[in-house]
Amino acid sequence: MATEQHSQEGVVKHRHRHEGPQKHIVVFIFSIVLTLIAFAAVAAGGVNPAFAVVLLLVMAVLQVFVQMGFWMHLKDRGHLIPIIFMIGGFFVAGTSIIMALYWVWWD
Amino acid sequence: MAQAAHSLNSSKPLGHGHSVKRHTGLMDWITTVDHKKIAILYLWAGGLFFGIGGLEAILIRIQLIKPMNAFLDAQTFNELITMHGTTMIFLGVMPIIFALMNAVIPLQIGARDVAFPFLNALGFWTFLFGGILLNLSWIMGGAPDAGWTAYVPLSSTTYSNTHGVDFYTIGLQIAGLGTLIGGINFLATIITMRAPGMSFMRMPMFAWTTFITSAIILFAFPAVTVGLVLLTFDRILGANFFDVAGGGNPVLWQHIFWIFGHPEVYILILPAFGIISEVIPTFSRKRLFGYSSMVFATILIAFLGFMVWAHHMFTTGLGPVANALFSVSTMLIAVPTGIKIFNWLFTMWGGQVRFTTPNLFAAGFIPTFTMGGVTGVMLASAPADFQFHDTYFVVAHFHYVIVGGLVLGLFAGLHYWWPKMFGRMLSEKLGKWTFWTFIIGFHMTFFVQHFLGLMGMQRRVFTYLPNQQFDLLNLVSTIGAGLMGVGTILFLLNAFLTSRRPADAADDPWEDGRTLEWTIPSPPPEYNFKQTPLVRGIDAFWKEKTAGHKGMTPAEPVGSIHMPSATVLPFTMSVGIFIAGLGFMFSRDEFGNAFMSFLFNNYIVTAIGLVITFGSMLLRSLYDDHGWHIEPEELEGR
Repeated sequence: MATEQHSQEGVVKHRHRHEGPQKHIVVFIFSIVLTLIAFAAVAAGGVNPAFAVVLLLVMAVLQVFVQMGFWMHLKDRGHLIPIIFMIGGFFVAGTSIIMALYWVWWD
Repeated sequence: MAQAAHSLNSSKPLGHGHSVKRHTGLMDWITTVDHKKIAILYLWAGGLFFGIGGLEAILIRIQLIKPMNAFLDAQTFNELITMHGTTMIFLGVMPIIFALMNAVIPLQIGARDVAFPFLNALGFWTFLFGGILLNLSWIMGGAPDAGWTAYVPLSSTTYSNTHGVDFYTIGLQIAGLGTLIGGINFLATIITMRAPGMSFMRMPMFAWTTFITSAIILFAFPAVTVGLVLLTFDRILGANFFDVAGGGNPVLWQHIFWIFGHPEVYILILPAFGIISEVIPTFSRKRLFGYSSMVFATILIAFLGFMVWAHHMFTTGLGPVANALFSVSTMLIAVPTGIKIFNWLFTMWGGQVRFTTPNLFAAGFIPTFTMGGVTGVMLASAPADFQFHDTYFVVAHFHYVIVGGLVLGLFAGLHYWWPKMFGRMLSEKLGKWTFWTFIIGFHMTFFVQHFLGLMGMQRRVFTYLPNQQFDLLNLVSTIGAGLMGVGTILFLLNAFLTSRRPADAADDPWEDGRTLEWTIPSPPPEYNFKQTPLVRGIDAFWKEKTAGHKGMTPAEPVGSIHMPSATVLPFTMSVGIFIAGLGFMFSRDEFGNAFMSFLFNNYIVTAIGLVITFGSMLLRSLYDDHGWHIEPEELEGR
């Protein structure tokens, strides 16, 4: 598969504009910053634990979007089927987690 | 293969087309990666297990023929009902579904093979060795005896102290690997390898239901994998996931099992819906009524199928709110299913209906499956379910949907595609005998069980007392089971007699074929399509026929065709997993023999198995196999 994509790159270029490395560098720095904030919130101490948990969750969700969208290419065109199947997976896994929490853990 | 098919035009003849090593005889079957041969392997293996499961059913019915019968003891009866359910679902009908998918799907979408031919072979062999492992339990100290649902605590070592349930957990784990591999393979195949012009909304219905079924497999099988791992850990390594004394929760097993188990029944029935949706339009000479609503209904059934699992657990004590919610979501499934039933009826309405054997099975399917659906809605009502739970009413319901739905659908599909798979038409006369004996036997067996259940006869109990009005109905039920057995034997006889006739089936033996598989020879050459066809609408072949064309318009010039190489590695990988599973299962046993104890108790047998499997994987990764080519001259020579 990989070789085929390389050989077609020249043809593909004029169809959809090839992104430069600039955007990816920015996104890379952004995800590093997200990690640093999360790490600092715990490592520095003095942060209210309840606030730290919420902050960590927010950072995690942002990180998931960055990873999925940019590095797994889900933001690009032609990725509808992977997105549908990921949503399906989240749906089934989410149902199972809610089940386990509600009926097995808390009950 | 996917990229090979796409880059076919650019691939130049490399001149090594003739140097490919060809196996013959048994080695050909063990090393094959051809989807058509794998389909036949699935059919024979699935048929074998179907026969074993059927035999177990007959033994169960003989035991229940009269009150206080002593034909079987309680333990054997428990083993038989457990193995009947497990074998039929996981090793009987699912492989036969995969047989039809393998035989038909690449042809229907105009592809030369599945996306991953190697994985396809691996999926078959893991299924087969998982099935063999499960059935070895009969001669290795007792079969599983906790029911096909293996509810804890009954399936824990406290109440089931033989290796029976270990054979269940490890056998199913290995067989389930094959199913998961197969499901992913068909997803990739259908997404990436459709012929030019075949958009999703131009796919035949069987391809659609295969696609949705594979998606359900992808999402549902991980649940049972987790459940089986936890149960294995509880039983063999002494974990406490389901052990109350250790802080575990037995209801967790029920949830995990049914989060998988309910989608599983849609994995079974959706392919049957697809088969019926192919057979009925062909023999009505009409396009399928409401194609897009059929697609929508299939997707909706798959989606709702993940939200209803707790209706198997109404009596567990989930509370009135949960029971009400799951009641409603269960009843909702009747809506898309009803859409399908009416669409089939409207397809037949006003069509030029021919009652060939496949169409007889399809026509028999509609009312029979509807009856199973109606009792399903009855069971969906939680208050009523408290009465029906664990009675023969439930047994009657799920046999109506699985046998009256799926098995009739499979018979329809087998009679319909047999000429495409083997190049020989099955005898219509014997086929009609099969249909009538099977369907009359079926209704005799299971219709009366509704009433047995309503009168209070409990399922999974090995005998019953006289004078409870159970006697006559049970006798009728057993006679019906015998009749179903006769029907199945007639089908086998039909297949045997047909195999002795010359392979002379036409490309389009039913003469009204609508989809791409009927445009190529029966059986197809190993590359399927000399030139990939251009699809110009739903029912691509029918569209060309109505336009006055004899065949499909090719979408590419005749060129060299890239083929995957035959390989023994899928077989050796599966043998390795089989040995490892067996070794792990007996790792805590005491053997009289010191050498055996040393081998098993130190996980040496397990290690040998894993070395074989991972060694095969290593070989596969290190040794690049680029496949081989069939050159245009060879194609013309045929």
